[in-house]
Amino acid sequence: MRALVKNGIGVFSPQGFLDGNNGGTFLSIEDIEATIKLNADMILVSLKKVVFFNRNGLDIFVKMFKKIREEKHIPVGFCDYDLKKYQAIHNFYKDDLNFSLFGSLSIAELFAASFKNSNKNVLLYNEDKSQRSAMAIELHDGGHNPILAQTQEDFNKKKSKENAYDVIVENTFLGQMGNNVAARVTGNAIIYTVSSFLDAEIGNIFNIAYHNNSLNVGFRLFIFDAYKVISMNVHALNFFSRLASSAAEYNATICFVGLTFEKTPITFKETLEDAGIMFFEQMDDILADKELLNELGASSVATVKNKRIINKVTVSELPKFIDATVATIEMMTNSNAIKEAAEVHAIKIENHDGKIASSIGFYGDIDGMVILVFPKDIAKKACQLLIGEETDDLDLILDTLGELVNIVGGKIKTLLSDEKINVNITLPRTYPDINSLLEISQNRKGVQVDLAFDNDKFLFFLTR
Amino acid sequence: MITNEKINSFIEKIPPAPKALQTTIMFLNNGELTKAAQIAQTDLALKSYLKNIVNKPIYGFKNEVSEVSQIFGILGVSSSQQTVYNYMITLLSPDKWELFKLKESTFHELQAKLSRRWKQILEHLDIDNKEIESAITLLPASIIVAEALFSEKKADVDLLRSVNNLDLNTILFRLCNLDLFDICEKISTKWEMPAQIAQIVQASSGFKPSNDDKLNNLGKWMHLLLFYELSQPMFIEAELNDFIEFQIEYVSDIYDEFATLMDIS
Repeated sequence: MRALVKNGIGVFSPQGFLDGNNGGTFLSIEDIEATIKLNADMILVSLKKVVFFNRNGLDIFVKMFKKIREEKHIPVGFCDYDLKKYQAIHNFYKDDLNFSLFGSLSIAELFAASFKNSNKNVLLYNEDKSQRSAMAIELHDGGHNPILAQTQEDFNKKKSKENAYDVIVENTFLGQMGNNVAARVTGNAIIYTVSSFLDAEIGNIFNIAYHNNSLNVGFRLFIFDAYKVISMNVHALNFFSRLASSAAEYNATICFVGLTFEKTPITFKETLEDAGIMFFEQMDDILADKELLNELGASSVATVKNKRIINKVTVSELPKFIDATVATIEMMTNSNAIKEAAEVHAIKIENHDGKIASSIGFYGDIDGMVILVFPKDIAKKACQLLIGEETDDLDLILDTLGELVNIVGGKIKTLLSDEKINVNITLPRTYPDINSLLEISQNRKGVQVDLAFDNDKFLFFLTR
Repeated sequence: MITNEKINSFIEKIPPAPKALQTTIMFLNNGELTKAAQIAQTDLALKSYLKNIVNKPIYGFKNEVSEVSQIFGILGVSSSQQTVYNYMITLLSPDKWELFKLKESTFHELQAKLSRRWKQILEHLDIDNKEIESAITLLPASIIVAEALFSEKKADVDLLRSVNNLDLNTILFRLCNLDLFDICEKISTKWEMPAQIAQIVQASSGFKPSNDDKLNNLGKWMHLLLFYELSQPMFIEAELNDFIEFQIEYVSDIYDEFATLMDIS
């Protein structure tokens, strides 16, 4: 059984009965190895569809949790259970509960490092005061607004208020949380939160794959929220210097916000500034200054001097990219997709209204990015299989379009690997309107192919 | 990926039930075990299947049972009919399983386990009805249908499921507005199986509860029984555990009774 990764959280979903007889068959050694290699900020086992479990049945997953924590330092645990199951797990692992328990996946998302929807009003209660505080701190660090109930009575009273909170956290227990660097997205900037002492460990806890993927999909501004950093040593200094050098290749900017130099040598600041890192006192000094954001590349890539253009190798594989896209759209819609025109130029989109887009990057033996642009209604049609119901929820449509383009990316990877061309795919990125797409792709030359299925038109663009 | 044309073509290719089987079932329906055994004896594949299945440990016979008349005699009318229906379903199974990691013997094992446990459940519910007893035989047809429709699209299914946790039944329904259990019903109609069999199996999908309380209750027991068996190591290894979605809320009111009956602790 393999975990499904969504929003940075890998989730296993066993079904039925979980006991000592079958625990090992749900999870093989290869499955555990594959899970360790996943690019996830949190690994969970959902008990939503488990009707019965005993300790022996859970033990195989708990052993996996231990291994993942040792190797990846990320939060692990169970989710999606009722009160009875929550109490049963507590009883099974009374003094040995070093993994987390999240009442639901949406609660777990609040505690995940790269969860993109911050600023949630979260009501929380746990009878254990230290748990209550730990949760509040984690939520606050994640950019949420935790509201603590001090007693069960207080909690019940607050909980009964309709629509007062975005999420209510109960029947939840924080085991060892991850000490990896939390990342969140604000507009087109990525904010990493670092704290306490920064030393050689930063190389282990910083998710470099996530960072590289972010560069590949077009993020150009990276902010280190360092308000809670006490000091930094030379190993961390070297790490950030190297990070700045690699960012320079993409014309990306790295900033530190809130870092004080009371216990960190001031010469470190000079070294980092020489490497291109900028320092600000307050987060609003950057985020509230649109002109500066523009200059730093967060609102527009007009300043990005990316001269890399599509090359012959990429173009020679064009049929594979189109095949992958056509096959995916056909698979998702049960209709025939037809290629209409193909031309090499910068992306041209007639009539920007009501259109959304999604992109996925690939890198390895060849580098590039595939962009799909759809009228919103056509995107809904293409995502119908994944959504399963009629919806006008733009966030849901965009999320699903991200899944669709992820399938396209997976197919591209397979088709290229048949030709012995190895590539990795980045996380998909979605664009709620054409302007936000053009911010990253306007000046890039590429191959534009107009495609149609059932007479509905959409656009495929391949660039570097 | 899967179209209604493909489903129609699959159903059209299903041959009518062999004459010997139809006659055997007719005699069993009339309670004429000896005549049924005489006819069944002439179908060597059926004879071999019956011998193979009733000698599995789950049937609990101490000595090997080899004659069809002996087998029907021991099983009685209802279970004999159930076993003949089980054989009919195996006629649809592929020579080689591609989507699921199944072998013929593993599939027969699943049929045997479901049949015995279903009988145990019906005894517990105090139901003595040969049509209801036979209903369980149609359930594994859903696995055969999934194999037939999705085996050529395994790579697509894997890719789709790598980004979204969809079960095969949901994928099929969203693509064709028809699910695995609807196709099972079409098979049962083609083979002139009693209508009640398909109704119970439809409810057991957990996807569309029956309006008839009695049938719906049987559907719940069957749904839970299916997942009880699909949680056995050999069927998890065969990748059957998640081919359809377990509807835990649907069975919540009968779970404790089921757990007691199956001695789960």
